[in-house]
Amino acid sequence: MAKKSRIKVKEKKGVTTAKVLASHDMLSYDEAKRAKKEVNFITYMIAKVEGEVVYEVSTSQFLSKNPFVQFAFKGANKGKMLEFTWTDLKGVTRTDKAKIK
Amino acid sequence: MNRRKFLSLGLGLGAAAVMLPSTLSAVNYRETKTSAFEGPKSHTVEESMKELFGTSTTKEEKVTLSAPDIAENGAVVPLQVTSDLAGKTVAIFQDANPESLVAVFTVPANGIIDFKIRIKMAKTGNVTAVVQDGNTLYSHTKEVKVTAGGCGG
Repeated sequence: MAKKSRIKVKEKKGVTTAKVLASHDMLSYDEAKRAKKEVNFITYMIAKVEGEVVYEVSTSQFLSKNPFVQFAFKGANKGKMLEFTWTDLKGVTRTDKAKIK
Repeated sequence: MNRRKFLSLGLGLGAAAVMLPSTLSAVNYRETKTSAFEGPKSHTVEESMKELFGTSTTKEEKVTLSAPDIAENGAVVPLQVTSDLAGKTVAIFQDANPESLVAVFTVPANGIIDFKIRIKMAKTGNVTAVVQDGNTLYSHTKEVKVTAGGCGG
């Protein structure tokens, strides 16, 4: 079962910076073969503030385990909610929310 | 076009259609540009870049890629890509792993090109960040020495 993503979002001088630590094994094809587990990794991550896309990335198997990403964007105020969603190879998705501080 | 490609194309289109209503500007490059991520043309940076952007000619300027010179642990190589360009697409490639494309970012309207991400590298290799601005590709390549492999090797 996928665990919660840890999210920190801070706004400073109009620029909002978000740090996200997603919880995922990120087993690449080689690693999975060696560990005799099923291949699975996050293929797509998206972040939104009030329905507006602020971050989007398509990823491969070479992200680190429990991938950490940081990104910045303009035009979001404190108190709004950031919604972060990832999708993995098996089609599992997980959405977590955090308030912009 | 072989059967497998055809099927994956269909799947990608289907998924894109489902996603359309909620995420209008969203592009999932794994579905639209599968060949850049996996398959025969994903093994070298040049070919993968061609699959993704249609060309592999880049200008080595205006993009900054920060990465450690020596990564003690290949399982966690922190990268940062920054640029003042108003590009819409940012991609990260490396030549240490079996497939070269690592991530493709779509820069939204309010987005700033300042991405940090942690990747795995099986061995020492070159990491390349590419920003597409209009029809021009800007890039920055940096060598990262890996002393312990990241993909279990």
